[in-house]
Amino acid sequence: MNAIYMAMVAVVPIAAGAVTAALVMRHISVTALEGMTRQPEIAPQLFTAMLIGMALVEALCIYTLVVTLVIAGKIVV
Amino acid sequence: MLTGNLWIVDTTGWVVVINALVASAVLVGLGWFLARGRLTSGVPEGRQVFGEFAIGFFIKKAREMSSGHDRAKVVGTVTPYLGTFFFFILLCNLFSLLPVPVVNRPPTSFFSATLALALCAVIGNLFVSARFKGPGGALKHLFWPNPMQSVGEVTDVLSLSLRLFGNIGGEYMTVVLVAAVVPVGIPLILHVLGLIPSFVQALVFTLLTASFLASAIHHEERKKKAKRGWFGRKRSEPRAQS
Repeated sequence: MNAIYMAMVAVVPIAAGAVTAALVMRHISVTALEGMTRQPEIAPQLFTAMLIGMALVEALCIYTLVVTLVIAGKIVV
Repeated sequence: MLTGNLWIVDTTGWVVVINALVASAVLVGLGWFLARGRLTSGVPEGRQVFGEFAIGFFIKKAREMSSGHDRAKVVGTVTPYLGTFFFFILLCNLFSLLPVPVVNRPPTSFFSATLALALCAVIGNLFVSARFKGPGGALKHLFWPNPMQSVGEVTDVLSLSLRLFGNIGGEYMTVVLVAAVVPVGIPLILHVLGLIPSFVQALVFTLLTASFLASAIHHEERKKKAKRGWFGRKRSEPRAQS
């Protein structure tokens, strides 16, 4: 029973983190694409900045993944 | 193998050391092979084209952060620093493509390896900025103008290492779990998709190191404060027409 609770505790943050990061990354990519199509001459700089921004957002999702891994490592069935 | 021991080096831990050594040996061999022979400052050909293509991006990044310093010195110092990070992490990430079962674990899917890389990046940034601003200037950047910047360095280490570890280790775990269920076909697709994060994470690690370094060696000029209106717009500037 305890294992089931811990599995739920491990699963909920990664789901929430993935959904939130996906929404924010969609916003980042859409705005970057709009900028690139409006001004194709600065597309490389925009692409680099987009990658850095996406990495920063993705790091938050990765933190939840790490927390999930820590909790999942403690589950004893 | 999958659940408990992903963090810490233990019985499977020699994989990370050996694979990292193999990656660095490949990197050194590749560099020696590309730089060997007659190099020309004219129109390059053959290996020199590939080598210049490979380091051109880092030369551009180094030029961007060289304002206020000797440009040749900045480019000569920063380009090998960033390029080593990028190609070493890229080679480490590509270990998952090997078809051998035990050896194909990328070293960057161990937290110890990524923590070492991030420590190298942050402490190396201190040393590189000490080369341009002197040791006092490099240490001053930690505490001035905001004393919390020294805490920021610690969080930089954590974010750099956890990001790399989470991406590569998560991808490796996904491939292993799926291959345990469907051994044929699907892992090939996952491997091809895994090429994208292995490239992008190496690039992101390098770009973030470059931006930390750029803020560390930024040359502070004492300027007269321009009188600014609200929202930071100069009074003399015309209002932006949208």
